[in-house]
Amino acid sequence: MEAVKDKQDSNGRTNREGLKGWLNPTRYGWERLSYWLMRLTGLFLLLYFVGHVYETSNLVGGLDAWNAMLELTQTTFGHIFLILVIGASTFHSVNGIRLIFAETATGLGKPGRPDYPYEAGSLNNIQRSGIWVALILATAAMLYGSSVLFGGE
Amino acid sequence: MSRKFLKESTIMKIHYITGLAALLTVAVHVMMRVVVPFSISLEYENVVANYQNILYALLLESVLILISIHGFNGLRVMLLELRQNATWEKFVTLFTLIAMLAVIGYGTRTIIVVSGQSL
Repeated sequence: MEAVKDKQDSNGRTNREGLKGWLNPTRYGWERLSYWLMRLTGLFLLLYFVGHVYETSNLVGGLDAWNAMLELTQTTFGHIFLILVIGASTFHSVNGIRLIFAETATGLGKPGRPDYPYEAGSLNNIQRSGIWVALILATAAMLYGSSVLFGGE
Repeated sequence: MSRKFLKESTIMKIHYITGLAALLTVAVHVMMRVVVPFSISLEYENVVANYQNILYALLLESVLILISIHGFNGLRVMLLELRQNATWEKFVTLFTLIAMLAVIGYGTRTIIVVSGQSL
């Protein structure tokens, strides 16, 4: 792991990058990108969920309150935001299923002796293609969402 | 070592189960909005009529609880990845638990009030 030079924490360690390291999706391959996207989409969806619970509570205020809320959300920006939510939720779901398979050792193959170049057996083509499937399905879902929201159907 | 109410492995199983269950329930919730043209499905009368269907109200409550548990536990895991000490862990666990209960309470109030409203 790269060390942050000359920056030691109270225990004398130099490899604590904190939030900056966490936000860096590079250096470690596709699996790191998947890890990064999983956390970003998860946070994004959590924020959307809390906003959605608040937004739907306008029903309690009656017809006028609900229509006022719709005027804010049923806009071009609102639709674009919703398309991002669709993409985020699709990626998060599909990649989450891939992770469940990985953590139950499904599709990982048999363990083997670590020989040079020491490629991890668990990071095989099935797992890597799972990441691609998640990205492709998220894109397809966003396109479908666009057709519904902007297509008038 | 402090005694834990739930083992982390049990919490992760709950996380996976709530994630899978939320996927199914949210899929049904979204499909209800595209059965008719989207803009019509958002009209006040249509939305309230949905809430007044007991099965749909139960579905919404399930979505609320499942996603609250899954989401706030995910936030807890992310925050615990950033820093590890006893005080931080207690703070993060308490904060996410209270936030989860607050969101569930607020959403449940909406469902109960709206399902009892007359059009």
